[in-house]
This record gives sequence, C-alpha cells and structure tokens, in this order.
Amino acid sequence: MIELVESVLVGAVASGTVFLLASLGETVAERAGVLNLGMEGMMIMGASLSYIFTNALGHGWAITAVLLVGAILGLLHALFTVSLRLNQVVVGLAFTVLGLGLSGLLTSNEIRGRIILALNPEASPAVIASQEAAKLPPIPIPGLVNIPIIGPMIFSHNILVYISLILAGGLWFILFKTSFGLSLRSVGENPSMADALGVNVFLIRYIAMAICGALGSLAGAYLFIGYQPFWVEGMTQGRGFISLALVILATWNPLRAILGAYLFGGVEALQFRLQLVGVAAQLPYFLLMLPYIVTIVTLTLLSAESVRKRIGVPAALGVPYSRE
Amino acid sequence: MMLKLEKRGQFSRKFSAAVTVIFVAASFLVAGLIFEILGVRAVDVIARLFEVYLSERTLLEAALRGLPLGFAALGLTVAFKMNFWNIGAEGQIYLGMVAATGVVLLHAYYGLVPDFLVLPLMVVLSFLAGGLYCALPAFLKAKLGVNEILPTLMLNYVAYHFVNYLIHGPWRDPKGFGFPLSIVFPPYARLDTVLGHTAYIGVPAAFIIAGLLYGFIMYTPAGFEMRVLGQNYEAARYAGVRIGRTLLLGSLIAGGLAGLGGLTIVAGILGRMRPPSAYVGYGYTAIIIAFLAALNPWLAVPAAVFFGGLLVAGDVIQATLNLPFPAIQILQATIFLMIILGEFFKRYRLRVVI
Repeated sequence: MIELVESVLVGAVASGTVFLLASLGETVAERAGVLNLGMEGMMIMGASLSYIFTNALGHGWAITAVLLVGAILGLLHALFTVSLRLNQVVVGLAFTVLGLGLSGLLTSNEIRGRIILALNPEASPAVIASQEAAKLPPIPIPGLVNIPIIGPMIFSHNILVYISLILAGGLWFILFKTSFGLSLRSVGENPSMADALGVNVFLIRYIAMAICGALGSLAGAYLFIGYQPFWVEGMTQGRGFISLALVILATWNPLRAILGAYLFGGVEALQFRLQLVGVAAQLPYFLLMLPYIVTIVTLTLLSAESVRKRIGVPAALGVPYSRE
Repeated sequence: MMLKLEKRGQFSRKFSAAVTVIFVAASFLVAGLIFEILGVRAVDVIARLFEVYLSERTLLEAALRGLPLGFAALGLTVAFKMNFWNIGAEGQIYLGMVAATGVVLLHAYYGLVPDFLVLPLMVVLSFLAGGLYCALPAFLKAKLGVNEILPTLMLNYVAYHFVNYLIHGPWRDPKGFGFPLSIVFPPYARLDTVLGHTAYIGVPAAFIIAGLLYGFIMYTPAGFEMRVLGQNYEAARYAGVRIGRTLLLGSLIAGGLAGLGGLTIVAGILGRMRPPSAYVGYGYTAIIIAFLAALNPWLAVPAAVFFGGLLVAGDVIQATLNLPFPAIQILQATIFLMIILGEFFKRYRLRVVI
C-alpha cells in the first residue's frame, strides 16, 4: 500500500510537470490580459519538435529549438490578437488546429526522415525510423533524495522538473515583487490606465505571449522527452486545455499552480495505476472527469464579486486593447 | 512613411463576400506554401481535394461526413449571434450520441415502444441531451455571470470520458469479443434506411432547419432579442431583453442541433456507437464552418459539405499520397486563420501615410 502511495506521488510530479510548465506560461499571458486558447497547439508542437530534434541533434538542441519555436508561435498569436485585435478565442482555437496539423505532418515518417537528415546528415537509418527518442536522464539530488516520501517524490526527477519548480518561484517573484511584474499585471487589469501611466501595453503583451508560447512548447517537450518518449499522434490529449483550467484553479498564482499541477498529475497517475492493477475498472473514467468539473465549480465560485476582488482576477482578460 | 489603420464604416454584403472568397483562396496558397516547404507537392494535395467534389460517389460521402459538422455549425450560428461563445459543440455531439444509443439499447433489451417510434424518439432525445448540456453553462452565465468559454470547453472532456466509460463498460456489446463497440443498430434505428442514404435525408433536413433558423432569428421577437444581446450586453439589459430566458433558449437550440449531429454519427455514419478518438475536433471544425458561413444558416450547410469533403480528401491522400491525415488539418487551420484575418480587413483599411 505504501509502495502504491509512493509511486502515485512520484507519478503525480512526473506527469504534473507538464501541467505546471504550461500553466506557468498561461498565467503570465493571462495576467497581461491575453487568453491563449492555442496552448494545446503550442504544446503538441513542442512535443513533436523535441521528438525530431532529439533524434537528430540531442536534448540540448531539442530544448533550444522548442523554446525558440514556441516563442515565435506566441509572438504570432500576439500579432493577431494584440496588434490586429482579432478575437482571442477564435485565434487561439485556430492555433490549436494548426499545431495539431503541423505536428502530425512533421512527424509523418517521410517528412520526419527528411528533416532529421537535413539537421544531421550522419543520422543512422535506425534513429530516423524510430518512433521513440532518448528520455532525459533522472538526476537524483544527493542527500535530499533520501528524505522519506518527499525525497523520491520531488528530488528523483530529470532536470526539467527542477527547472519548472525554479520557474514557478521565479515567476511568482517577478509578477508580484518587481516593477516589471507590476506593469504586467496592470496591463491585464486596466490597460488604458497603464497606458496613461507610460507602460507600453503592446510591448508587454508581446513579451508575455512569447513567454507563454515558449513555456507551453517546453511543456510539450517535457511530455515527450521527460515523461513518455514514444510518439503518438495528438499525444497531448487535451493537456493544454487542462493547463488552462489549472490557471483558474490556482487563481493566476504561479506558486499555487505547483499544488494544482501535482493534484492533476496525481489524478492521472492514480487512474493509470488503477488501470494496471485492474481495480474498479469504471472508476478511472470518472477520475479523469474530475479536473474539468473542479474547474467549472471554481469558475462558478469566482463569479462572486467579493471573491474576484480578493483574489485579483485580471479584469481585462480577453479584451483587446486599442487607444481609440 | 507610415502604415496607419483606419476603421471602415458600413460595408456591403457583396464586399464582405468578396473578402471572404479572396481570403479563402489565399489560405490555399498559404497551406500550399507550408506543404512545399515540407517537400510535399501542394498541387497533388489540392487536386485530390477538388476531385472529391467532382464525383457523385465522393460528393455524397462528403455530404455524409459533413452532416454532424453542419448540424453543430447551424447551432453555433445561433449561439454566436447572441455572443454566446459555445466551444462545447464536441461535448454536445457526444451527448447526442449517448442519448440516441441509449434509446436503441433500451429498446433492444426491453422493447419499450413500437419499432417505428424508435427513430423519432432518438431525434427528440438527442436534441434534448445536447441542448440541456449546452444550457448548463448558459444557466451559469445567466444566473451568476460565469463566462461560458471555459465551462463549455471543459464539458467537452467530461462528455468524452463519459462516452468512453459507457462504451468500455455497461454499453459494450456482450458478443463483441471485448471490443469497445455497442451493438449494431437495427434497421429501424438507422437514418440510411429511410431514403437509402443518410445524406438524402440529412442534407434536406439541414436546409429546412437553416430556413427555420433564419426565420426565427430575423422575424420573431425571441430572435430579435438574441441579436440585440449579441450586439451589446449592457444595451440589451436596458432595452428590457429577458437575458436569462434568451440565453437559455438560444443555448438549448445550439446544443440541441449539435446533439442531432451526434445522432447522425451513430445512426447514419457508424450504425453503432464507437469511442471517439480524442482529437476528432468536431467542435473546432464546426466553429470554422460557422465563421466561414459568416453566421448565416443558409451558407452553413454548403460550408459543412465543403469541410466534409476535406475529411474525405484526408482519407484519399492518406491512401494515394502516403500523407498523414493532419495534412488536412493544416488546410483547416489556414482557412480558419485567413477567415479571421479577412474579418479584420472588413473592419479596417490600411492606409499609407507619408
């Protein structure tokens, strides 16, 4: 029993890191007033690129490429929603469809082979044909990993897990303790006021979307090289949208996102293990519904004006800004 | 020299249609460019797509595959007109599938009603199931002011897991060798037995519904309230629009039509219930169709047949060009992005200031 609990806890962090990275990115975007419904597409792009680049050039280049392409996707989203002021919902969904399509095409055998060969002419036929890639090696932190339960749960993972935790702390600090963070939040709260005070609303929203895209794609890369390094088309399976839900559950706070991400990750890990053991065959389906239902309930609670004020829901979320 | 954006005043429908046509054509260029960059001959892909609409057999198939999308998109024309951002058509389609299949199973095991009443019952219940599922977020919006975007999106996944639970559990065919499939629907519960092909009854039905919706939106007081609500929420409130009632009615229609789309899947296309693969994207495609049709119900039907053709072409290029299905998603996405971009150019003009 203790073994099961421990393995679920370790699994919760392993699968929850996908949600954490993505929801950190989304938190930054939404704090600046941009709703990125393209998260799912950016995530699957990250996963597919990490697959191709890892097999061609290794992990380092894969993560670099993913961050770069993710940031570009974020900037493109900003071009449509911030500069052209197009509807954020529609643009986001278009990016999701685009990401699903592009990732599927890029990873199809022929095209993937061509890209890998272009990146690395010496790639072996076995690597080119492989549906898998090398997983990021776990780096147990000496000493800390021996703490009972918490040790293996937090300190036995790969580098991206640690980076995600550091990012959560760093982003919390930036958002709430620096003047840049104050500007960013003011842009999401009341853009015309921020503009009047000399904050460059457009620039900040572009920066926020670049961060959001980069982290969203990194989440996808973690999903593939850090968690489940076997390519399956459409493998994000709605995790991008779960991350959006998580942002709300964490009430736009990077530190609370850690808890939420591991909670959602725990649900995933638990249902996976229940399926393996064959206990309560029907239960997993209802467990999987839980994050979505919890989100709807949270949204409903947040609708009360007093709660909104206290928590600080970005008031200008989803509203394009124009100076007219 | 500078580029400056200027707001256009009123524009004519001709201008609007021309912009849409130009931008859809441009989307083929953009998609073609992406294909060429990846070393795929774009001409081949696009030629295969247009061949789909030229043969009677494949055109009929396109209409069939377009039906669930078309019904859902018809619903969205109502929802979006009242500015209700329903991204949950996918979930509402699933609920329609569940209701229709539920009727068939109940009838097969317990024989509740005469055979000829089964199909009408399926129609009514799948409409209600989809409609009520959409009315739930509408209720939250009307009563508590909860924005509908995320709830409708989240409910997609709840419905998805619910369908999977049913089909892997209690609704699995006991003689199906353990595959997650329901029993095959008997002939009296299938749409293709009515006139020989599901499209023969589905497409005219879709046109009739489009006509009814058009009349409803343009000429009834309730339709007028929906349009006012869509233009300006605050103004609607001052003008005395019964907001809650309007939202509930509109969402019931929107979700109900998506539910009928679900009915066409199980009773027309598959003839049984099968677990949906997670990324079918009916919901998103229906949104693209509603936008392509500029929220005009009449245009939503041909637009749905066009997108049904994209799905058929996806299978064709998989078989003949050895390209994966997502190649078609790229076309969908570029069409989507270009239509939105077109909306921008309808509202603004670029002027060079020297």
